[in-house]
Amino acid sequence: MDTTLSETQRLLRDSLRDYLRNEVPFDRIRELERAGGIDQPLWEYLRGGGFLALPFGRSHGGEGGELTDTAILLEELTRRACIIPFLETIAAALALERHGDEALAAELVSAVIGGSATIAPALQAATPGDGAAPRIVDGALSGEVRFVDYGAEVTHHLVEATDDGEPGLYLVDARAGGVSTESLSTIARTPVAHCAYDGAPARRAGGEESLRFLHRAGRALCAVQCLGNAQQALDMTVDYVGMRVQFGRPIGSFQAVQHHCANMATDTLAARFLAYRAVWNLDQGLATDREIAKAKALASRAATEVTMQAHILYGGIGYTEEYDLHFFSRRGKERALAWGSADECLRLAADTLDEVRPWQ
Amino acid sequence: MEFGWNEELEAFREEVRAFLAEFDTPALRTELANRGEAAQLGPQQSRLREALEDRGWVRMCWPEELGGEGKSQWFQFVMTEEFARREIPYGSGFGTMVGPAIHRFGTEAQREKYLPGIWANEITICLGYSEPNAGTDLAALETLAVKDGDEWLINGQKLWTSAADTASHVWLACRTDPEAPKHRGISTFIVAMDTPGISVRPIMTMSGGRTNEVFFEDVRVPSDALIGEVNQGWYIIANALDHERVWIGAGGGLRHIFDRLLAHVREKRPELLEDDAIRRRLVELELDLDVMEGLVLTNASIVAAGDTPTMEASMSKIWTSELRYRISSVAMDLLGQEGALTEEAGGFAPLRGELERTYRASPIQRFGGGANEVQRDIIARRGLGLPR
Repeated sequence: MDTTLSETQRLLRDSLRDYLRNEVPFDRIRELERAGGIDQPLWEYLRGGGFLALPFGRSHGGEGGELTDTAILLEELTRRACIIPFLETIAAALALERHGDEALAAELVSAVIGGSATIAPALQAATPGDGAAPRIVDGALSGEVRFVDYGAEVTHHLVEATDDGEPGLYLVDARAGGVSTESLSTIARTPVAHCAYDGAPARRAGGEESLRFLHRAGRALCAVQCLGNAQQALDMTVDYVGMRVQFGRPIGSFQAVQHHCANMATDTLAARFLAYRAVWNLDQGLATDREIAKAKALASRAATEVTMQAHILYGGIGYTEEYDLHFFSRRGKERALAWGSADECLRLAADTLDEVRPWQ
Repeated sequence: MEFGWNEELEAFREEVRAFLAEFDTPALRTELANRGEAAQLGPQQSRLREALEDRGWVRMCWPEELGGEGKSQWFQFVMTEEFARREIPYGSGFGTMVGPAIHRFGTEAQREKYLPGIWANEITICLGYSEPNAGTDLAALETLAVKDGDEWLINGQKLWTSAADTASHVWLACRTDPEAPKHRGISTFIVAMDTPGISVRPIMTMSGGRTNEVFFEDVRVPSDALIGEVNQGWYIIANALDHERVWIGAGGGLRHIFDRLLAHVREKRPELLEDDAIRRRLVELELDLDVMEGLVLTNASIVAAGDTPTMEASMSKIWTSELRYRISSVAMDLLGQEGALTEEAGGFAPLRGELERTYRASPIQRFGGGANEVQRDIIARRGLGLPR
């Protein structure tokens, strides 16, 4: 047991943090939010630096690293409001590598590491109502999925679909015929699409195991994104209230302000523990749906409450488009809802209360 | 970063479990149930304590210069957790806090005089810190110690001195320089409670426990009762607190209360579990317990890495103390009127009255040990670096 970062992890974090600070100005994020699309130069940097290879097996050209290392990178990317399909591509490729079709995994993981493939999970849980659930008919995919993050930007979709009633994951070339996407506008201003498949060519990528892993990995890593938004808003707020002077003194010297900051820091630290533990346990094959749901619920709350409390402490300047705080409150709320909101996750935990065994 | 336990610690955990299985006898249970807040250990607890000493488990994680083996703090953590799991008190009162202070700041003669007795639990210690005008602002204490030839003459009053009626000694903070700034005029003494001039008056609390006020009237103690340098006391007190503070928030008992509540509901009130709102409230408590565990393990990780947690220890203290209130209050609400039954109601009382008892005893966790408002100040100033 050790919740602290190893020396290697600290170096990893700092190297990406330095790069982002120097090379990814917030004005570029603003421009991307307006124009749409993903941050290609950043993706190229991650590929070139070997960051995309970290969690994959050496037999596929990966680094064989721990998933917590990748989560550390994801937290940094979140703290800079970066717009890239990092969580999506990594979670999908890992689901394939660990539990999916071997030949397809070898092909796709290499392509991800090499930078030629990006993947968007298209899961039914994201689609409200029964809609037209994706299904395989005569080897081709038909149906609809709403809320596919980066659905219009990636090279591949990994779609949850049924074949003769049996659930599985199917890989679809996003540029193939029969795939259409419609961009949706959200509070996050990051790319998300409603995807429709009409007889799209699809290759079976995995069964229930890979599907379950993908749901778990997406949710656990999204908890890290929630945490990243909270941590960034907290750190910015602490800096700001420490220097903003009113009534002749920094407002951060007022006890009322200090106690808000103390509570924000506590919520963030607790979310950090549960989120990273969920990722670690998932990596070790120890995580349960229930544990991951609780971690996401807590992180979702931190992403909402810490970022919005930050606005209250900041006052007017933090409320402007020119300032950077809104990236984290808007993104934080959207991530709080993605991959299962606090309410959805706690409902799962409440409905599986019989799994709770006495402490021993 | 790693969230599992290595083989060495797993093996040690098994060892502690086997040890506790052997010593957790009906006789020990009866003794613990009737113990009250006495500083002395009963015969069963003494037997357990001696066995702990024999195995070298009491001071295994202390640094070698304090007489320990310098093992990773995780061994201590695992042992504390296993004791908590069985709800058997591990420590021997405040001796575990004062012992290291005497070891570090005392003379060779003082170490020989006190430490063997403290480890054997023959010397039992109560803490003479708080006073009527020195609570949260402890450095405002006024009990006066004046050098008089070879002796110190002590006059004043201490308050909230738990176990003063049973302890053999008091670890006493006194003002030795009234002219100095308040933090720089305090010294620490160890004083036998049977010294003439000391009188103890009981104060019963709403938890059902006893605490005391202690009066010092012309109490004469020898010069070697002073531990450390004159006026160095504030530093020594802070150091002693640091030694124990990490474990204050451990709160293992709360997980037990939740387990018992769940067992009670499953067995006696299964209809409650059909209610979505009630299941949801139970899950909220469970999530709060997860947070507690996260904060405790984060603290322990920092200690094991050789650093001293500051804001993390305060976070853990705040969370655990507030959860103690919340878990008992919510549980009583869930059960309705039967939640109000006390232990004396016998078989009717859910969890043998534990929820009611925990609720009634919960305020001290929040205002004591450094009030939670002060803990939030510590997080903001020492942890986050916000200005005064």
